[in-house]
Amino acid sequence: MPPRLRCTAVRGLGSAIKPSKSRTATHSAALLIPSAQAAVSATRQYATAPAMPFGLPDDYVPPTRPPTARPADTRKSQLLRTYTSLLRSTPLILLFQHNNLTAVEWAAVRRELRVALREVNVPGMDSEGISSRTHIQILRTRILDVALRTVEFYDPSKVAPTTASSISGEKVKVVYNHDLSKAAWQAVKDSTKDSVPENSTYAQLSPLLVGPLAALTLPAVSPQHLAAALKILSPSPPAFPAPTRKKAPGYYDMHAQSGLQKLMLIAGRIEDKAFDLQGVQWVGGIENGRDGLRAQLVHMLQSAGMGLAATLEGAGKSLWLTMESRRSVLEEEQNGGKENEKKDE
Amino acid sequence: MITRFITQVTTKFNPFSPQSKPARLFLSFLPPNARSSGMNITAQLLPRHSTEKPTLYVKFKDGKEMNLDCEKLGIKSIVEEVDRHSRILQKAADLANA
Repeated sequence: MPPRLRCTAVRGLGSAIKPSKSRTATHSAALLIPSAQAAVSATRQYATAPAMPFGLPDDYVPPTRPPTARPADTRKSQLLRTYTSLLRSTPLILLFQHNNLTAVEWAAVRRELRVALREVNVPGMDSEGISSRTHIQILRTRILDVALRTVEFYDPSKVAPTTASSISGEKVKVVYNHDLSKAAWQAVKDSTKDSVPENSTYAQLSPLLVGPLAALTLPAVSPQHLAAALKILSPSPPAFPAPTRKKAPGYYDMHAQSGLQKLMLIAGRIEDKAFDLQGVQWVGGIENGRDGLRAQLVHMLQSAGMGLAATLEGAGKSLWLTMESRRSVLEEEQNGGKENEKKDE
Repeated sequence: MITRFITQVTTKFNPFSPQSKPARLFLSFLPPNARSSGMNITAQLLPRHSTEKPTLYVKFKDGKEMNLDCEKLGIKSIVEEVDRHSRILQKAADLANA
């Protein structure tokens, strides 16, 4: 075993990070490579980089930690980021008011929802994927309010770039337009009650953002899945009947029933537009989804074309009919005349 | 809020109107076991463009009925009104037990 040698150069590492009094003043506290002076005093010789002040500039901003308007590592900030991304990526959100559901009741509601969604099968659509990614979750109301404003009134593409120094000390233009940035904060702050246009989705949804809210999020606008969810969460007999006791015994379980009684569907946000209960039911009632709507349109256009052709044809047809009937009358008269002549003979 | 003496809560509101706030908050104040302990709760949602006034009707065990005006009263005043009568009932119940 080789003798352990004292190696000051290596020990120098620690002291380089925490500069000692004996060392000459360095430019940066994060001086990682020992200076040539330290290497000389070492008992071993190492290949060292040429003596240069290696360190980060004082105003260096790591690209993974851009400056934020509010502390980025708090739960609220991260919830806000979650909600903005949820609002941007989810085309169909149903908002529920949940009145003190217990954990057991939530579990029962989620179970019934999952069971009902699993049975939906739409040809030509990833229905399994939609079912598995449909969730009902509690949202923090005030943070959702801010997230809605951020999504609607903050345009990240219009943020002016700022200068920041890169790792080598160069000044570069950087755009900080994330949802926790100062620009986003300012945009949300400016969207006060008076400045928000009345027809904006936020203005329509803002009276709803009161009390305990939960959201059912569907990753795609699929009326069949929506209908299945509505049948469970807010059944209304003629169009969206609750499942029968035979088909879904779990639905009539005590916990599920008491949980569902406390869930109130208040609104929906479908493709960035606000819908009330009837609107949501209308979307859920579209048969065969988007393809069904397209088929209806095609049928409407076709029948309109056929009607037009029939109308245009009509004049010619009636003329032809008149002439034809006149001809047959004349022929009959002629024949009749001949027959009469024959009878006379 | 004392909810022990309430037997019936009936509300009707349009969630898209800001005046529905007290009614909705009142519903969220009812305890989780309200229905199983015999309280009769019905909430009717009005369509979005209806201008009907939100209503909140509360009935107590002794038969007292309250029609609370959600437009004038905030949730605090509504809770105060309901609690005022509930406290009387509570006092009577405590005296009867003692």
